[in-house]
Amino acid sequence: MDDEKMIEKSEKENVAPDALVEVSNVSMRFRMPAQKIDNLKEFCIKFVKRQLKYNTLEVLKNISFHVNRGESVGILGRNGAGKSTLLKLISGIFEPTEGTIKVRGSIVPLLKLGAGFDPEATGKENVFLNGAMLGFSKKEMQQKYDSIVEFAELGKFMNMPLKNYSSGMIARLGFAIAVDVKPDLLIVDEVLAVGDAAFQQKCAEKISSLQQTGTTLLLVSHSASQVKRLCKSALWIKDGEIVMYDDAEKVSAAYAADCQKQ
Amino acid sequence: MQKKYFEYSDKKQKFKRSVNTLTSMVNRNVRNQYRNSVLGILWTVLNPLLNMIVIAMVFSLIFNRREMEGLYYPVYILSGNIVFGLLRTATSNALPCMVKNYDLLSKTRIVHEIFPISNVLSAVVNFLFSMIALFVVMLISLHKPGIGFHPTLLLTVLPYLPLLALFCLGISFILATIYIRFRDIQHIYSVLLTLWMYLTPLFYSLEMIEQHHKAVFLLKLNPMYYYVTYFRQILLGNVPSLLTHGVLCAWSIGMCAVGFVFFHFSKKKFLLYI
Repeated sequence: MDDEKMIEKSEKENVAPDALVEVSNVSMRFRMPAQKIDNLKEFCIKFVKRQLKYNTLEVLKNISFHVNRGESVGILGRNGAGKSTLLKLISGIFEPTEGTIKVRGSIVPLLKLGAGFDPEATGKENVFLNGAMLGFSKKEMQQKYDSIVEFAELGKFMNMPLKNYSSGMIARLGFAIAVDVKPDLLIVDEVLAVGDAAFQQKCAEKISSLQQTGTTLLLVSHSASQVKRLCKSALWIKDGEIVMYDDAEKVSAAYAADCQKQ
Repeated sequence: MQKKYFEYSDKKQKFKRSVNTLTSMVNRNVRNQYRNSVLGILWTVLNPLLNMIVIAMVFSLIFNRREMEGLYYPVYILSGNIVFGLLRTATSNALPCMVKNYDLLSKTRIVHEIFPISNVLSAVVNFLFSMIALFVVMLISLHKPGIGFHPTLLLTVLPYLPLLALFCLGISFILATIYIRFRDIQHIYSVLLTLWMYLTPLFYSLEMIEQHHKAVFLLKLNPMYYYVTYFRQILLGNVPSLLTHGVLCAWSIGMCAVGFVFFHFSKKKFLLYI
């Protein structure tokens, strides 16, 4: 109890009051079974033979940073650097092995477009189902419905089951529902690479307009140019450690140089 | 030691979101059963009704009885069947629910408990539709022994259904958790469920067994025995004793608590094992 209070106190002293996201000393370790065992027989045999082996995978190593309200931060890094894990930690899907994460405000994580869509249900039903998961009642969704359909450009298809949609259409619908909320923090994980060029452009515009109304953006990307376009500052992660956290131009230049080198 | 914790300023929002999600999921589950069928929602009543008629005909022919424990025999069978049916659909749908919804678990901040709960609630909704079918059967056989619409039927709404749902929820929590680690449980449980069904007096009565075997008290250890007899008591117009209520409460709350604790302490590791 006591040290919990102490942590809280010390953090209040250290960090600016307008920090929306605070990540302090976060490490994430996964303890994975060396082989996937999903049946009882194997488990018992391995248990008796003492062959149950685990690999510890340290994905993030002692990471600390904070993001202020209204800022937008791009997270750069190569595959497997720990970017998505970091976003999942901030979204509250995982809990860190060590350290604390604080988020002061509402979050909309866009880690996958259309997560939770039901292929059997129609587009319209899915809008309501997905809206409910974001915290809206049926009434509120009815008000939003028209603007969602308009943004997704799917007016003709809303009464069709989702399994007949193309993957681009599903992504468009997912994006349209998610951004029709005004969250304090929008977390985007490489989902913008969907749809045709025109729709991508539309998504980028939507995100900038959200930024102007005060939404904080966390964006994961491989692409330095996208980060430069949408974010003011950038965070570069390599093998679970922060390499650089600075102005977006500088970081993306350094990141691009590093990628070329290898 | 640093304590790990999260602080979200939107706790109320989280609760609201869970409730909204729950209702729309239940809605979806019930609709999906009969999607793309000509009769649509009508099947929710028609399906149990037709099933009931078949079961009642077969067992009435085999056992050739008019009534059992004071209740018209087909209704005796049907009442037991819809109670056990609730347990069966709730638990066997909830069993794979965490694995099936991996996408939602790993990509959104959904409350994990929603999945077992929504499956149990969907089964409760189906139970209510089956009740309509049961009422139809009772209407047809009004002049038969022990059949009537008594005010005690209101006990179904409270406390009976919530208690039964809690009991099913407890089991669902446990099964869903085990299924993440060991897929075997699906096959083991389906066998256990069949055994459990035959150990529950659905189409026989414990009085019948008592004449042949002394070990009948063993069958009374089965919690489903109490849930089934409770339901038949209120169909007959009797208010079950305080003791029966106590036994039901103990099983429901106990099972739900055990299941919840088991689920809760394993849920951090769910994502690693699916």
